[in-house]
Amino acid sequence: MDRGPELEADSERRPNREVGAGVSLVLAAAVGGLFALATFLLLRRDLMRVVWGIAVVTQGANVYLLAMGGVVEGDHESVPVLVTHGGEVPVTADPVVQALVLTAIVISFGTTALALALTYRAYEENETMDIQQWE
Amino acid sequence: MNQIVIAPLLVAVVAVVATLALGRRPALQRATSVAGAIVYAASVALLAWRVVLAPDAGPATYQSGGWPAPFGITLVADALSAFMLVLAATVGLWSVAVAVRVLDRENQRVFYHPLFHCMLLGVTGAFLTGDLFNLFVWFEVMLMASYVFVAFYGGAKHTAGAFRYLVPNVVGSAVMLLGIGGLYATVGTLNMADMARRLADPAAYGIDVAPVVGLSAFVLATFALKAGLVPFQFWVPSAYRAAPLPAAAMLAGVTKKVGIYAVIRLYFTVFAAAGLDGATLPGTGVGITGDSPLAFLGPVLLAMAVASIAVGGVGAVGRETVDELLAYSSIGQVGFIALPVALAASAPSGAVRRAAVAAALVYALHHALAKGLLFLSTATVRGATGTTRLSELGGLGQRSPVLSAAFLVGSLSLVGIPPLAGFFGKFLVFEVAARHFATVPTAAAAVPLAAALVGAVLTIVYITRTWIGGFWGTQTPQVGQATVDPVQVGLLAALAAVILAAGVAFDPVYRFATAAAEAALDRGAYVDLVDPAPGTTLLAAGTGAGGALGSSGGAARPDRAGERGAGTENGNRPADGGEGT
Repeated sequence: MDRGPELEADSERRPNREVGAGVSLVLAAAVGGLFALATFLLLRRDLMRVVWGIAVVTQGANVYLLAMGGVVEGDHESVPVLVTHGGEVPVTADPVVQALVLTAIVISFGTTALALALTYRAYEENETMDIQQWE
Repeated sequence: MNQIVIAPLLVAVVAVVATLALGRRPALQRATSVAGAIVYAASVALLAWRVVLAPDAGPATYQSGGWPAPFGITLVADALSAFMLVLAATVGLWSVAVAVRVLDRENQRVFYHPLFHCMLLGVTGAFLTGDLFNLFVWFEVMLMASYVFVAFYGGAKHTAGAFRYLVPNVVGSAVMLLGIGGLYATVGTLNMADMARRLADPAAYGIDVAPVVGLSAFVLATFALKAGLVPFQFWVPSAYRAAPLPAAAMLAGVTKKVGIYAVIRLYFTVFAAAGLDGATLPGTGVGITGDSPLAFLGPVLLAMAVASIAVGGVGAVGRETVDELLAYSSIGQVGFIALPVALAASAPSGAVRRAAVAAALVYALHHALAKGLLFLSTATVRGATGTTRLSELGGLGQRSPVLSAAFLVGSLSLVGIPPLAGFFGKFLVFEVAARHFATVPTAAAAVPLAAALVGAVLTIVYITRTWIGGFWGTQTPQVGQATVDPVQVGLLAALAAVILAAGVAFDPVYRFATAAAEAALDRGAYVDLVDPAPGTTLLAAGTGAGGALGSSGGAARPDRAGERGAGTENGNRPADGGEGT
């Protein structure tokens, strides 16, 4: 999981891995929980629950992306803005996956909004939220 | 002159904005939309000329924002991308031209044209990008537009179709993110060329290639979903029936091919670089006897392709409406495209593999043109008669001979009658399947050949049924009262002429397809094109300035800046790394 930091000098890496392991466990549990919840919701008959399911499944993927980037003890290279501000550098996730997640959140926002609009339209047409009562 | 790479993207963006801005001037909006498609086709033609057809042609890259690969997002126009873009531009041009004539003007005014160009934009980006996450983003651009197309008419059936399309695709997108995230964690890069380089030499980069097989399965599932291959075909019929028929021509003709393109590009250009040395699939105990993830792709995609041919063919035979029949037919036809790709993955030698990929590309082009023509003809039939139900149609051949002739050309091309483009598509697929059987004459190796044979027979059955039901016989009242728009008929006849021309003058088409297959298989050239500097020296340069992080290089930064040093070592390189032109 922490492939990237392995390529840096060994001495710098050791403490980082400790941080990463603890946080990774929490992230793994979160990913598992979110995907389980999403699967449950996606299989409901109520259309609204299905929309919740697609919102949750993308969030699960986002947390997974963060976990894949690895969470390590930050330094001034990964958080360059703190170079001029001095002070403690917090534990941080890989900036690349942060950018990926940001993009994925925007896409998920658009898709969920469209799904909600469609849900309302489907309700108007069928006068039911139960997808098994659709023709 | 590498800016030509982004020309199609820019044209599509401008067309989206212009058609959106002209929402209050419907006539001008329609004219702008058609003009946008024409300029798009011209820019694609220019790109194809520069990349493949010109005497001094060569592939080109564009490093967006001047950020060199693998740090920025690279756009790559090689022969494969150019081939797919030509396909998209041709279908797109006819789709928008027919849509302007056939769709209700009020419906067009709302948002049809901006959506159409948005879909074209997504397709173009997916064909051009050289970055894995960026591919995901372009997929979403394309999908977002196609969701709205499926829900376009807003009735009960349309919203239901849109939901059946949207929910699996959102899950598919999440699965694709799982694959991308895993590949990033395993390989340490998102740039496809950089990924191919790292996979080819895992020891130098300290990576483990075995997880790549499983992670590639994640993205394969998503691509198969986009392509509508069995077992991910269930959304296809309801979505294609719900969408306006000119948009369905785009969905069946072009967006399905994006999935096929992505399989070819990622597996043959990127993942094939990974050497596996007989790893076993966890849980199954099945050994991968080949030396790359292609050994995994081969049997899996073959099963999908054979099942698609069967499901699509059998499903199409019993349909009552022409549009539903065409929707099922496109499931089967995508199976015909996937079949040679699967056989290419398990091909023993490079020449056989190249011929198989070329066969898939020729079939993809033929299917895009023929299915596009059939969907657009059906749009004209529905516009004239108000129905696509076979029981309510009949005698169209007498009513409008030219329209019927165009439909016949599309049908015969789908069946594979010479000298139409479809003949060569079918011929090459059969040749690949037969050669596969000839190399290993076992019962299992005969499956692809048998599937293709059964699929071809089923195609003849359902095409004949459509022809007899819709075009022969006595005229029904709907057909008798129909007024067929001569402009639409002219457009359809022109597209039929293109199919005929692609068959008669097949040699340049085949050479183009072979060049595209060559580009898909030549990993070294692709890597050198995108990122000529060897990655190892960058690694050795150690930790560079962290300033690269602050860039506005876009959402997908293909590497960890801290890991590879910063862009400073690369900064003196020209922004456009392509040496090919």
